[in-house]
Amino acid sequence: MDWSESVGMAVRTLSANRLRSVLTVLGIIIGNGAVIAMVGVGEGARRYATDQLQSLGTNLLFVVPGQENARRRGVEAPNTLTFEDAEAILRQVPTVDQVAPQITDSQLASYRARTTRTTLIGTTASYAPVQNFAVAAGRFFTDLDVERNSRVAVLGADLAEKLFGTKSPLGERVRFGSVSFQVIGVMEAKGAFLGSNRDDAAFIPISTMSNLIAGRRSPYGLSVGFISVSARDEESIEAAAFQITNLLRRRHKITLDDDFYIRTQKDAVAIASNVASALTIVLAATAAISLLVGGIGIMNIMLVSVTERTQEIGLRKAIGADPADILTQFLIEAVILAVVGGLLGTALGGATVILIGIYTPLETVVSLGSVLLAVSVSGGIGLIFGVVPARRAAALDPIVALRSA
Amino acid sequence: MTTVIRLEAVSKVYGQGEAEIHALRAINLVVAAGEYCAIMGASGSGKSTAMNIIGCLDRPSSGAYYLDGENVAGLSETQLAHIRNRKIGFVFQQFHLLPQLTALENVTLPLVYAGVAGRERLERAKQVLDQVGLSHRLDNRPNQLSGGQQQRVAIARAMVNQPLLLLADEPTGALDSRTSHEVMDLFAQLHSQGITIVMVTHEPDIARCSQRVIWFRDGQVIHDHLPPEEVGQVLFAL
Ligand SMILES: Nc1ncnc2c1ncn2[C@@H]1O[C@H](COP(=O)(O)OP(=O)(O)O)[C@@H](O)[C@H]1O
Ligand SMILES: [Mg+2]
Repeated sequence: MDWSESVGMAVRTLSANRLRSVLTVLGIIIGNGAVIAMVGVGEGARRYATDQLQSLGTNLLFVVPGQENARRRGVEAPNTLTFEDAEAILRQVPTVDQVAPQITDSQLASYRARTTRTTLIGTTASYAPVQNFAVAAGRFFTDLDVERNSRVAVLGADLAEKLFGTKSPLGERVRFGSVSFQVIGVMEAKGAFLGSNRDDAAFIPISTMSNLIAGRRSPYGLSVGFISVSARDEESIEAAAFQITNLLRRRHKITLDDDFYIRTQKDAVAIASNVASALTIVLAATAAISLLVGGIGIMNIMLVSVTERTQEIGLRKAIGADPADILTQFLIEAVILAVVGGLLGTALGGATVILIGIYTPLETVVSLGSVLLAVSVSGGIGLIFGVVPARRAAALDPIVALRSA
Repeated sequence: MTTVIRLEAVSKVYGQGEAEIHALRAINLVVAAGEYCAIMGASGSGKSTAMNIIGCLDRPSSGAYYLDGENVAGLSETQLAHIRNRKIGFVFQQFHLLPQLTALENVTLPLVYAGVAGRERLERAKQVLDQVGLSHRLDNRPNQLSGGQQQRVAIARAMVNQPLLLLADEPTGALDSRTSHEVMDLFAQLHSQGITIVMVTHEPDIARCSQRVIWFRDGQVIHDHLPPEEVGQVLFAL
């Protein structure tokens, strides 16, 4: 008996019992839908994360105080990196383009009766270009503002809206803690990213920050939270990291362990991408379990079907079906069920992914690869879970089968 | 004349030890090509067991069975399936038509397993259905047919692969007497075309349609060549 015969026969049998067939594959539909949706969302999240990081600029490096992997929650950040280090990096490292040290502190921001908590970032004029962050209205502060300890502030887009609503904040005075500042600019909106929202922050000159709000003097000088550095171009990132390391080791007179470490933007992209990929795998694995459950469902119903169709099997054997014919017949039925379930599930998952893409900022994708994988995995599951019922059918004794009226 | 069926000291034992049942006790039986036999005997006398062995659905516990000159004992499941497909046609009391298939499709089924191509299958199936007088019922499903019509579809299915031997275990057991005789007319017609027929029946009336009655009792053949008109005497004697 050839394949097209067997497939045709299986389709007839399955469509003669449509409702049961659909119920049988429900598990596979849900399992497959879940896998497709989860992979789509995970992949979307990965793209979103890497795109966001990439938009910060790929020639960015961060110099962070303390030892790598040694930072813990609740422990005060080490004070081994200073404003003077930042100036030295800018002056002495040839592959470096711009440098922006920053001190970060949480403060209450208020305008007249309105008060909100904000992240106050003290930095230099280079911050905006280094971070690829542009001003939407007014201006960013200048080197002169930093030199003069000016009490000027640039607001993040969300913060400006919280304090001023639709009114322009330019020229108005806001207070951070007990210090009053004049608003000279508002940043463009960037959106929240990985739990931090710079649209909710405010930016002031680092000198003003350290003198009036949150400055820490260390034996080395004015300590900073970290230093953002932009290399001349993407190719010189490695060189810049190397040169900065050497410079700081000399400046800090280090003989053993470094008291700082360097992260490149590329590292961050890779980490985010890895995290998202791991997330995708976890999600997909969870969904795959429901696919497995779906396979068990097929096995169950096929076993019931073999019992119910005992007479049919006996008759087929009596008129010349050999055990292999019966085996293939039931295997094909199981595989068809599973593949059809797989396709329906894929459609369901695909629709979910597209809807998520429309209603969230995630750029979701239904990849052909995941569709092919899901359908072939379903087919494989049908085959595997079809084996037990099919073998039972093939092994039936025709006499016993025909007698079971 | 060639021999179609030769049973030599065939026994069939079901169960083991205390629960052993000797369904057949060393029976010998020879049926020549073109014969039309009826097997009779009380319920439980081993008629169906013998039919199953003759039909290659079951194997003897001991003894030898030659079908069309071939010793069946050493054959595999697959080879037996092949023999059932090519040499034997079965007719059952309960018809055993597949409910989801039309009459025509039911009749093509043995040809599907014989590997006959689709178009030829339909041709041949239509031809036999015509022969059993059902050419107007090709597309009906079994539940749209009367009992007699269903049995005729089953006979067409048994004949479609041009078997050597037609085996019928109580073919009229589920039919009323009028349709029973329609079926017997069909058997007579097939017999006249040269096919060998062995059927099991309880009814002397039906047995009378055959040429030779084989009588079973307690797993043994007690009459081998009983003329059909003497069935009444045997029944009376029991
Ligand atoms: N599969 C089986 N297992 C156990 N005993 C069986 C089986 N099939 C038949 N028998 C027994 O064998 C004997 C002959 O049965 P069977 O050939 O069906 O008789 P008949 O068809 O003449 O009524 C009976 O006693 C029956 O109970
Ligand atoms: Mg019987």
